[in-house]
Parts: sequence; C-alpha cells; structure tokens
Amino acid sequence: MKVIEVKNLSKTFKVKVKEKGLKGSLKAIVKPKYEEIKAVNGVDFDVEEGEVIAFIGPNGAGKSTTIKMMTGILYPDSGEISVLGLDPKKERKKLAYEIGTVFGQKEQLWMHLTPFDNFKFFAAIYDIPEKTAEEKIAELTELFGLEKFINTPVRNLSLGQRIRCEIVASLIHEPKILFLDEPTIGLDPVVKENIRTLIKKMNKELKTTIFLTSHDISDIEKLCKRVIIINNGEVVLNDTMTNLKYHYLNKKIIEAKLEKSLKLDDVQGIQVLKNSNGNLKLEIDTSVTNTSKILELLGLDNIKDINISNIPLETIISDIYRKEQSK
Amino acid sequence: MLTAVKNQIKVTFLSIKYACMRQMLNKMTFITNVLFMILNDASFIVQWIVLFSLKENVGGYELKQVLLFWGIAAGIYGISRFFFYKAFSLSDIINEGKLDAYLVQPKNVLISVISSDVSVSAIGDLLYGYIILLIYGITVENFLLYTFFIICGGMTVANISIITSSLSFWFSKSDAVMDTVNTLMVNFATYPDGIFKGITKIILYTIVPVGLVNYIPVRLLIHFDLKLFLAVIGATLFFMGCAFLIFYKGLKRYSSSNLMISKI
Repeated sequence: MKVIEVKNLSKTFKVKVKEKGLKGSLKAIVKPKYEEIKAVNGVDFDVEEGEVIAFIGPNGAGKSTTIKMMTGILYPDSGEISVLGLDPKKERKKLAYEIGTVFGQKEQLWMHLTPFDNFKFFAAIYDIPEKTAEEKIAELTELFGLEKFINTPVRNLSLGQRIRCEIVASLIHEPKILFLDEPTIGLDPVVKENIRTLIKKMNKELKTTIFLTSHDISDIEKLCKRVIIINNGEVVLNDTMTNLKYHYLNKKIIEAKLEKSLKLDDVQGIQVLKNSNGNLKLEIDTSVTNTSKILELLGLDNIKDINISNIPLETIISDIYRKEQSK
Repeated sequence: MLTAVKNQIKVTFLSIKYACMRQMLNKMTFITNVLFMILNDASFIVQWIVLFSLKENVGGYELKQVLLFWGIAAGIYGISRFFFYKAFSLSDIINEGKLDAYLVQPKNVLISVISSDVSVSAIGDLLYGYIILLIYGITVENFLLYTFFIICGGMTVANISIITSSLSFWFSKSDAVMDTVNTLMVNFATYPDGIFKGITKIILYTIVPVGLVNYIPVRLLIHFDLKLFLAVIGATLFFMGCAFLIFYKGLKRYSSSNLMISKI
C-alpha cells in the first residue's frame, strides 16, 4: 500500500537580488530586482508502507523543501501530494497526528525540562490521555535506553542522548510515517551506529515507515532498501539499493602483492593507481574488461596476496551528483 | 470541536507553565525582575502627583481616575507580555523561518507560537495594575470588570502586534511598523483622553486603538455603560478576527529556513 504519493511537485522561491555596495542597496530600495529559484521542479515518487527510504542529494538540491511540503510546512506552487491519503496543504493538523518529524539541525525539545516532562508535553500536544502517555513513555524509554537520563534536564544531555530523546518525542503519538532529516548529523561513529540500530528496530517493531535524508552514506547503506536522489530540484534516480550498486558498480579496485612487478599502463580498462616493488593497486572498468582477465594478466603463480573490492557507495553517489551538476 | 478547543487551551497553559518554569530557574533574577518592574511603573506616578498638586483636574479626570489609566495600561501590558509574549517577536520568527516546529504539530500555529514564551517582568506589571485598583477602591464589581478589560486589552494589543508582524510574510522587516504602533499604544495609554482632540482622537480610536482598550474601560470603571461595554467586546473580537485572518493568509507565503535552531 502506498503511503506517500508525490506527483509533479514544484516550488519556486523569489529571491531579492542586490548589487554590491551602498549603491546596490539604494538601487534595491528604488527598483528591487527579484530572481526566481526553482527549488523543486516536477518531482514524482511513491513510498510503500513500512519502507525505509533514503531521500538524498547535495546541499540545495531540494530535499528539505520537498520534505517541508510533504509535512505541511510549505505550500507547493503546483503538483499533488498525498500522505496517508491526506493533502498536507489542506489537512495539516489531521496529518500531524499521523506523522512524526525529527530535524537533526533543529531542536524541538525544551532545554530546561527533563525528557520525561518534554514527552508529557508532546503527549498533550497530540491529545494523548495521561495514563496512555505514561505507558507509551515507559515503553519507548526501554526501547531507546533512556532510563539513565530520563530525569536529567535536556540541556545537560550529550548530543547523542538528545537526538534519541528527539526521536522518542516524535514517536509518542505512534506516527505511521517518520520523517528524519539528518538525524545523525554531528554524532560520533558509536552513537551514529546506536541511532541506526534504533531506527531499524523502530521500523521492525513499530512498523513505522521511515523517510530519511542524510549526507552520511553509511546511514543510507545500512538502513535503506531504496534510494531517491534529487538534484537541482529534480529526481535523478529512484531505485533499489541493490540496483544502484549493480548498475553503477562498473568499477572495481584490485590491490595485489606480486612476486615480480608488471607493467600494465597500456592495458585497456585499467587505471594504475599504484605500482611499486610488487605492490599494485588498480581500478578496473568492468564495462571494458573483466576481473578474470586481469587475474590472468597478473598470473596466478605471481600473486602473493590479493584483495578485490567495490568502489565505495559514497564515490558512486558523488559521481551521480557530479554528472547531474555538469548537465 | 469543543474537545479540540479544550485540548488547545490545555496545551497553551502547559506551554506557558513550562516557559514560566524556565524563567524561574534563576530565583533571584526572577524576583528582582518582578519587583523592579513594579518600582519602575510606580515611579511614573510621582509626576502626576506633582501635577495634581497644581491643578484640580486634567482632561476632566481626578488623580485617582488618572491612576486607573496607569492601572489598566500596566494590566494590559502584563497580560499581553505574559500570555502572548512571542506576538511581539513574531516578525523575527517569520523572517528567520522558525515556524517549522509549530507547523508539524496538530495545534493552532498562531496560538502555539505566541504562547511559547513569557516575560517575567510582565508579572510585575500585572501586580502593579491590581495595586492601583486597590488604591482606587476595589469592589467585587470593578475587580471583575478590571480583570475582564485587561484580558480584552491584552488580547487586542497582542492582536495588533500579530497583524503588523504578519506583514513580514509580504515584506521583511515589518517589525518597525509593529514597534511604532506598540510604542504609540504604550505612550498614549497613560494620558487621560480628555486632553486629545480632533484627528489625534480619531487615530486613538482606530489605527492606534488606545481608546478602545484603555480610555473606554477607564470610563466604564467610573460609570458603567452597556453600549460601551459591548463596543469593547466587539473591538476585541474584531482585532482577533483580523489577526487570525492576516496571519493565516500570510502563512501560505511562508518560506522556511535551514538555520540551526535551538529551543533554549
């Protein structure tokens, strides 16, 4: 069942253009000039119930604008959005009961209150009766491991603890969809891993659909089965992670230790990254040649040790961003 | 519908309670803020006492009645800055794109925003207003009327601020308009209306409606008149309607931001 349907969504921002200096400022008062920036331009996609989807793109690609239109924060100029069968533009309040949002860069909690008081406040916002709220808080406290700091003011918590509390606050009303906008920003690797485990758990145990944006490719690789890449306000890729790797992984890295050094500069489909004293590092374009041919070329008896790996997903995604940017 | 209103009121008061708790973190600052505001308000009375020692009445009012202008003005200021404090920085909130957190909540955006913080010194204004009423001569009737008028006035002052701040949806920096109107409201509120004539009087009952929130209530506390009483209620509802209409009309033009924001 589709829980999000976005069709031909567009949003333009009017930005005042000012020439430099005082003269420019005076000119802007007398005759202001505006520039139209298409933040989102004809975006289409769907999200199935229970999916964990990555919505990624470089800075200024239109990710946040799209999420804000889906959550009812911004009004689109044209196009249709249906989230759980509701139009965010017309039914913002009704939709708010069904979705949760965590903006990694924006604080939703009261800093001087304890997480427990904050959760009670959020429960009141969502009209949850006291007893039900306390039961839900207890359940989420256990699930997210907040027992040790549930009664410590938020301002005294570490960033990782605070993000966990932010996520719990957005889950109090049992949302069907959770929008996570860079939830792991600024966190250390251990806490990041912890947050990822919790997101997985939440998706599995609470059956929450997760709509995730992140610049951290590990978040996407470890959590999402499908990825939507947006650039310059347009969807440039909407595919499963498996397909993304399959279609874009036409390059492999071979690192080998050889008995005798070889000269491979003239071989087609190979780029020699390092070749000294029998230590060899190659990048192979598998659309031109293949790994077995290279192994033959190196000679099995000549190989002391070998490691064959894929190009990191981060490089693939950066390549997609760059290709689209240069269009 | 009724449940929704009840829940909205519950969340609003909870928000005010939490904002108040934040201000109470430093007990000493909290107490001095309240006390110094009472002293500050009281200091202005001295000039009127001096003036009335030279003249029997000003603009048709005696000293105790002039004190009522101060009492009502302080009460209105207290209510508006305690319950709707953020209405006075709404322009910045709009310009800086800080409405996001309120827009994802299933509650009225405008009420949630304006009640998300309190001014501690406003408690001093509120207390001072009642002290003045005590000096004027408190009865059950004028206590209830006074309370009703400062609530209406506080709401109207906040609504005027919302109207002028909401202009930020169309052009940035409408806070200058808001500041000017608010300053005029405060400045004119403490003078008896009898001294104003002609165009000034018209302005004081329309664009800068001090007359509706301050002068008429003072007159009603001295001599009750049903028609004028209904006019106060009508004006309150009118400005409230305009505030909601203009804010929500402007909200469609809202452009958020990606600023790093912390709710301190």
